Amino acid sequence: MTILPWEASRKRAFIIGLAPALLVLGAITLLPTLALIVVSFTPLSLTDPINTFHFNNPLGNYRQLWADTRFLNSVSVQLKLSLSSVALQLVVGLGVALLLNARQAILSAVRAVFLIPMVLPPIVVALIWKIMYTPEVSPLHRMLENVGLPVESLITNPDMALWAISFAETWQWFPFTMLMVLAALQMMPDDPLEAARIDGANRWQIFKYIVFPYIRPALVIAGLFRLIDSFKAFPLIYVLTNGGPGTVTEVTNFYGFIQAFNFSYWGYASAIAVLMLAGAFLLSWLISRWGGHHDDE
Amino acid sequence: MYQAADKQRHRRRLIQTMAIAGATSWFPALVRAKDQPYQGTTLNVSLFNGVFQKLLRPLIPEFEAATGIRVVYDTPSFPIYNQRTDLELSTHGAGLDVANVTFIYSGRWIGSGWFTPLDSYLAERTPSDWDLEDILPGARAPETGKDGKLYGIPWNVDVVLAAASRFDLVQAAGLGFPGTTDELLAVLKAVNKKDRSAGFATDNHYGWTFPPYLYAYGGSVFADAPDNLLPMLDSPEAVAAADYFAHLLRDYGPSGVISYTTDQTVQSLKSGRTNFSTIGQSYVSQIGDAASSKTVDTSAFGLVPQGPKGRFPGVAVHALGIPVGSKNKDAAWEFIKWATSKEIALRAVQAGYGSPARRSALTSPEYRTRQTINGYDLGALAIDSVDVAAKGGYMKYRTVPVFPQVDQQLNKAIELIVSGQQNAEQAMRLAQAQSIAELKRAGIKL
Repeated sequence: MTILPWEASRKRAFIIGLAPALLVLGAITLLPTLALIVVSFTPLSLTDPINTFHFNNPLGNYRQLWADTRFLNSVSVQLKLSLSSVALQLVVGLGVALLLNARQAILSAVRAVFLIPMVLPPIVVALIWKIMYTPEVSPLHRMLENVGLPVESLITNPDMALWAISFAETWQWFPFTMLMVLAALQMMPDDPLEAARIDGANRWQIFKYIVFPYIRPALVIAGLFRLIDSFKAFPLIYVLTNGGPGTVTEVTNFYGFIQAFNFSYWGYASAIAVLMLAGAFLLSWLISRWGGHHDDE
Repeated sequence: MYQAADKQRHRRRLIQTMAIAGATSWFPALVRAKDQPYQGTTLNVSLFNGVFQKLLRPLIPEFEAATGIRVVYDTPSFPIYNQRTDLELSTHGAGLDVANVTFIYSGRWIGSGWFTPLDSYLAERTPSDWDLEDILPGARAPETGKDGKLYGIPWNVDVVLAAASRFDLVQAAGLGFPGTTDELLAVLKAVNKKDRSAGFATDNHYGWTFPPYLYAYGGSVFADAPDNLLPMLDSPEAVAAADYFAHLLRDYGPSGVISYTTDQTVQSLKSGRTNFSTIGQSYVSQIGDAASSKTVDTSAFGLVPQGPKGRFPGVAVHALGIPVGSKNKDAAWEFIKWATSKEIALRAVQAGYGSPARRSALTSPEYRTRQTINGYDLGALAIDSVDVAAKGGYMKYRTVPVFPQVDQQLNKAIELIVSGQQNAEQAMRLAQAQSIAELKRAGIKL
């Protein structure tokens, strides 16, 4: 008798406390998303907004997307770029974190240096790599030429362009994984490590059976964040390759950008954005389930 | 009594003095208000970055001082400007008061009713000696809507010219300036990579730099623009032209040539790292800038090469217009009137600008002097090019509202061929199919 009213008032307090935040969240997130979904059911073109904002063929954009080879290619490019760059970021971030995981003043300074790429504005990162990848002005190309190993432009080579973007993306974002892993490593108790050493475990065994299981949730979270964020890869592609050569580096959001901002097809671009949103939701659900499942083991 | 009367007189005099002082201090403001009706207005002016735009910037304080108008002058790069302005115009926003009417967007922006007709401003707010007729009629044509009204005042007529930065290498090989597509190939074969200079580079906006070759080979962008907009990108002539053009870039271009923008191309020509190019006159003329160019004395210029079906130099016109959403249209007109005046055109020419739209500037002795580089008269080449384009009428393809969609397919097609992903036939067939899909999405009946 006394518990229920307390629970009810507790629930009410939660709702009242959360309401302002939920209202703001709804206004700045849900309403635009709703507008996006609504527009995706119209053929809205800003060159003729009055005649093109109608719902005569609500699934028309989605049907067209299904048959649009350039869109399907962009999804494939997006997956390749996301998977390769996130995998590289996790590997490099983990490796650097393991190297820097010690209590020394110099390592603290080195950690701060490694954070620089992550805090640079994305357009600055893109310009840095534009210089690095332009043979005429690139110190990298000049150095290779001086040692007798001239390399053709990577960003105009269809076999290398996506890797070049992936590499630049990794350079910018591996510090995020590094930070997450370092935080996890520094929270790790010393006892199991000492016990393993006493039992004669070598470094690899300690890493495999003690350290890695401990930091795995942090890696999963870092991977999830980076994977979702990788769908937004834009400045690097815009500055370095403009989606080319051809469509080799044209990811889905870049294709959506072209449809919206070059051609004014807002209905079509909104449909692309809705599918991207659905993809991001699906991915985060799958990964969180996978991460949670392993946590329970 | 006397003292009181004196005090009163003194007070009256003080009030009179204050009143006179007040009136005097207000008077200039009253005079200014009459001469400067837009004083205190802030104008947002945006053009893409270029030579004229840079020359205009230091002159703007003069306009501000004369009118009391404050100008916020923004000149982003060409693609950024077009994307940003396209969005701003499409929403009828009030963010821009004066905007550049970009040539490839002119049909779309004017046709969609996104710019203000300027006829009434010309009739009612412009002195006759400002002289609209002085602006080349060919330049005014793309700024004229279907209703016959003028929507932009041209400040630029740019033509595609051929340039060689290391013509000394060509002469050393016993050859002359190439006049045809075959001669260009022969010259490139002879000079490519000589003295660390690549043969050929051009702006990777191939929707602009490729059509002179497309038409030279007998191809066309549309079946019959603006009446029949069926793309013609997979015709045998178009495929042959794409194959030829891609061959120039792939086999004679510097490493990474398909990432070259106009600025990169010009820098490469000025440093002598690339020998030949076909790009806009306002850019090739920068080779003649002795302060930044190493190749002034070895440069040579000519018309774009003639192909099997003739010579088709590209011609582009850029103009200033007033977006319909602007809240300061009258003040905006004052800026346009000033920026496109005879005086500003002449001052720009004196400072080295090579592509004015005013006949008085084009025929001025200053223009001839400035645009003669290493003995080559770029002005004469430009006028010849404009004449060829005016007679041929082939530039109509460029001002149809849906050209930006096809423009992009041309960019992609040339990239695909040069990077070896597809041959010319495959790439142009893909460009044709995707152009048709885009045009259908825009509601064009084909």
